Amino acid sequence: MRTTNPDDAKLRDLLRQSRPAPPLPPRFEDSVWRRIDRSEAPAGKPETVAWLDRLLERLLRPRLALSGIAVLLLLSSVAGVLSGSETAKRSAQERYLAAVAPATVR
Amino acid sequence: MRRSLLLAVALVVASAALCFAAYRLAGHFSARHLARTTDDLDWLRVEFRLRDAELARIRQLHEGYLPTCRGFCDRIAAKQRELQAALDRGTNVTSAVELTLADIATLRAQCQAAMLRHFAEVSRVMPPEQGRRYLTEMQRLTLGFHEQVENRMSGEALGPHGHR
Repeated sequence: MRTTNPDDAKLRDLLRQSRPAPPLPPRFEDSVWRRIDRSEAPAGKPETVAWLDRLLERLLRPRLALSGIAVLLLLSSVAGVLSGSETAKRSAQERYLAAVAPATVR
Repeated sequence: MRRSLLLAVALVVASAALCFAAYRLAGHFSARHLARTTDDLDWLRVEFRLRDAELARIRQLHEGYLPTCRGFCDRIAAKQRELQAALDRGTNVTSAVELTLADIATLRAQCQAAMLRHFAEVSRVMPPEQGRRYLTEMQRLTLGFHEQVENRMSGEALGPHGHR
């Protein structure tokens, strides 16, 4: 039978102090709970659902989602500027046409 | 899974709304910023990359042509009023109505001829390549509409891009 030696406890304390625990990564708890959820989920989940699950999980990471939205916003703004310049060009053309070729003769 | 899916759908909807708003706002502001000019010839300057001297000469031609154009417009409008009065007098197409219609057509043709002469004059002031492009564009914009109507009325089939 094993007995507890008081020196062992001291040694354990010393070892713990000599190896300080690194800080936990961000959202560590979330990912732990997610893993627990996944491990407790009923087995035999269809492959496509699991794949979709993984994909959603990846897409919903804040950094990725925010960069995606930022890129889309940038593209939309550029498209808006292009379309606005096209509208301005059309109205300038209409202005010239109205001056030199009135609608009655067009 | 269900929560993630709902979150993803909400994110997609919110992003779509944001992108749409950004598109409309950017379009509105750029159109307003670019269309601030009140110069009738601004389109020519930008589209046909005119130099100051060319633009000044075209402005002279433009200002010389405007009274002619207005004169034709006034005469066409007067004839149209005459036509309306003749039509209001009865339901028959009388010889007076026919005559007024012919007058309007003649005036329109004279006006179009003056317009085309003006376009040709303007095109000669531009660099040759731009001048050709201007003339083609103006003919398309001012005469193309009638061609389309006539082609539709005659029932002739058009090519894949509206060309024969």
